[in-house]
Parts: sequence; structure tokens; C-alpha cells
Amino acid sequence: MNKFPALALAVLSGSAAAQTPATNPMPDGSRDMYVGLGLVSAARYEGARHSERKALPVLQVQWSNGVFVSGMSAGMHLSRDPRLEYGPLVELQRRRDDAGLGGGIDGVQARYSVVSLLSADVRDNRLSGMTPVATRLLGGGFLNYYLTPDWRLTGNLLAGAGNGRDGVRLDLGVQRLAMQAGPHHQVSVAAGLGLVNAAYNRAFFGVSELDSLRSGNPVYRPDGGLKDAYLGLRWNWALTPSWMLTSHLQVKRLAGDARHSPLVERPTNPTVSTAIAYRF
Amino acid sequence: MPPARHLAASCLLTLSALGAGAGAHAADWVSYRDAYRAMVVFEKYGGPKHQLQHHLQVVPLEKGVSLEGVQLTLAGKANQVNLALDALGRTAFPLLKAAYDENAALYLGRKPGAFTVRPRVSLQPQADGVYDAAQLRAGCQQALGFARYADASMGARECGGVRFVFARRAGDIAVRLHRPDGADQALAPLPGPAFQGDPDEGLPTVVYRFAGAERAQVISANVPLAIVPLFE
Repeated sequence: MNKFPALALAVLSGSAAAQTPATNPMPDGSRDMYVGLGLVSAARYEGARHSERKALPVLQVQWSNGVFVSGMSAGMHLSRDPRLEYGPLVELQRRRDDAGLGGGIDGVQARYSVVSLLSADVRDNRLSGMTPVATRLLGGGFLNYYLTPDWRLTGNLLAGAGNGRDGVRLDLGVQRLAMQAGPHHQVSVAAGLGLVNAAYNRAFFGVSELDSLRSGNPVYRPDGGLKDAYLGLRWNWALTPSWMLTSHLQVKRLAGDARHSPLVERPTNPTVSTAIAYRF
Repeated sequence: MPPARHLAASCLLTLSALGAGAGAHAADWVSYRDAYRAMVVFEKYGGPKHQLQHHLQVVPLEKGVSLEGVQLTLAGKANQVNLALDALGRTAFPLLKAAYDENAALYLGRKPGAFTVRPRVSLQPQADGVYDAAQLRAGCQQALGFARYADASMGARECGGVRFVFARRAGDIAVRLHRPDGADQALAPLPGPAFQGDPDEGLPTVVYRFAGAERAQVISANVPLAIVPLFE
């Protein structure tokens, strides 16, 4: 029993799906904070064929009252049971326009591509002419259950996505946390599914008649259901008590009606990131 | 140089510098905050626990490394506390806000090598070495209650007994089971680990397995290092 549950960086910002950091009991009035910078390589938007590299600011803060900020998400741990985590959750969903994903605290200002797209690719941009999907603050909650101190089932429900603010997303996952891979090296793995309602799919993968006229994409009206599945691997290397290198690989495959959208060029895309973070 | 390559090169240079700096202390520290996170669970547990002890145990990652004479030091920017380790590498863990806030670390005093720390729960030893079976069962139940609180997978486990762990230099180990009818039974020592997962599996141990609501006493002539609950 009681394997050392060093879960601190099981989730750090940069992940596509909102995942809550594990509950972190600490003295009253204290906080645990990571701030860092790195690089991420990800598809321009969900389903894009081309990827781009961006600067990746890293931020994770947890306070003794249970409030946390983790990348683009914030919430509050309300449970006092170490086997259960739940609470409210908000997430900033980034704007999507014909330049791809951007906005929010993930660094739209720092966004740039180190791989020059060919002009043919630019002409083939399937988002060109599509109505941009505005930045939205999603609201909902999370519920996580620990099968053991190292295995966690996760669930996040967030609503308010899309221009109509009526998109709802449910992320379900399982995580193996904090496997010791040598002194100061920890690896965690995760797998999960994303389920959405029809409004969500139509906001991000649908093509209205007006969008069709402007973009040349065929009209597409997807329904809700399974949107994607992913596998993730995170490696944390604690260089000193204060400095950490955190790296993340995630492969996500679009599914259901989202996968068959005319906006989707490639249904399976990897996201790779690495960042160095300082623990305050 | 393109901005992205410049950024990547800067990150790599920073990482190299930090890695070189970390090498001097490689693998000989553990974050106080991470240890605190593991240890505070017992403090927050509201169930019965008066028969239990809770320690932080230092466990070398390399087998065969002795912790004899080694001291654990809690060191931050402003505070330094020496924590004496017992023969099992355990120490009482101080829950200090100041150490948490300054992101202190736990260092081993000498023989630096890779180590990890684990929270360990055991039963309180008795000064006279006489343990009622009912008392041992109650202590084990308290430990199981805490284990179930911390780990949902422990729900199906039951208390099977306790393991008395002795020092190698304890001399002849004499533990006997004394029944009300006067029938005494010697409990044979066997080499084993103190706690599950410990790298040292050669300590003298004596296992007393519970037999229902048996009325008996376990009498130990030697002071045990630990009395470890066994869940089966």
C-alpha cells in the first residue's frame, strides 16, 4: 500500500483535452505553482494535415483552498476524499479561424510556423472562407475516481462551445499516474474518449450553406456522438527540486461524424510538446 | 536564425546548464512538497488511528545500500532540520508550512544515491512486549480502515495478521503465543521484508496470523522495530 503518489505534474498545460491536476493537499495559505516555457508541435486545427510549432507557456497553480489553474483550465477541488475528485471547471476554448487554432493563453501572440506552407497548401486551406469559431469560456465540472492511488478514471463535462455557445463536450479517460522510470523521472500514460453534442460538432466540423458558398466545402451537418479518441504519454524529469522538464506526446484520432467532415484532411494527428518549468 | 530554432536552441542550452547543475546532487533528493502530499493524507484521516504510527520511510532504489548511520536532512533556503532515521529508514515527518512554502527538499546526509520515500503505517509497540490478540486485531483493523480510505482497491482486503520485524542484531528472537489455558506456542522467526516492497528481504520477522476471535497474547522478549499489519 501507499506507493508514493507523486502526482504533481501528471497534468500540465498544453494538453488538448482539459485534465484536472490531482488534488494537492497543502498547508493553509500555501500554493504550489509551476511556470515555464517550451515548444509544442500540433496540427493547425483538429483534423488538419499540416502541423505548426508554437511557443508553449506552461502554467499550473494550486492553492490550499482547492482552486487550481492548469493551462487553459481552472477549477476547484471540493472533495476531501482522496479516492474522489470533483468540482467546477472552466476552460478557455481557443478561437479557430482560417489560420488555424490560436488565441487564449496558449500564446496566440507567440504563434508562428517554422515550416513554410507551400502556396498550394495555402490555397487548399479548408478553413478559408469558413466562419471563424470565436474564443469561448466553457463551464462545467469534473469528476475523477481513483481505482488505486496510481490509476485514475477521469471525466470532464464542459458546455458553451462554438459561436452559439451551445456546444457540449464530455471527456472520459483513464490515467496511469506517476510511474517511476528512474531517479527523478516519472512517466504517466492516459487514454480517453471525447463525446460531443450535435451543436459542438456543427460548430467545429459542420459546413453551413453560407460557409459552403464562401469556402467551396460541401454542406455538412454532423450529428453528435463520439468525436475522438486519444492516447497520451507524459514524461516529467525533475532536474532539481525547483526545475522540471515536462514532455508530452498525444495521438488523437477523430471519430464519428467529426471524422467525415469535409474540413478534416487527416483524422489522426500527434501533438508533441516539451517545456521547462520552475516550481515556486 | 529563425525564431523557432533560436527558441529551441535557447531551451536546449538552458536545459544543458540545469542538467549539469543537477548532476552534482543527482538522485539524492526528494521534493518536500511531494513527500508532504503523501504524508498529510494520514493526518487528514478522521477514522480511528490511536493504535497506529505513521512514518516517512527512505528506500534506496539500489538494492543492498545500507542506511545505517545515515541522516535525512530537510533543507530549504532559510530552514534546515535533521531527521534521524531508525533501522528501517523511517522518521517522523514534520509537516511544516515554512518548508512547504520555500519548496524545501529532503537530502540524505551521506552515501548519496537514488532513493525514494514512502509513507508507512505500523502498530504502536508495547514497552512490556505483551500484546493481546484482540489489541493486535483492532490495530490491524485501524490500519485497514486507513488503507481503504487512501486506496479504493483495498476494499476487498481483510486483516490476516501482523508481522513483528526485528533488528538483525537483536540476538535470539523469542516470540511466543500464550493462550489462557496455559498452552504456549513458539512463533518461529523467518527472514523477510519489513514492509511490502522493501528491498531488504532478510530481516528477522515473526508473523502472527489471526485465528478468528482467539483469546491469546503474543509475548515478545525482543523489542520489535515495527509491527506491520498484513492485509490479505
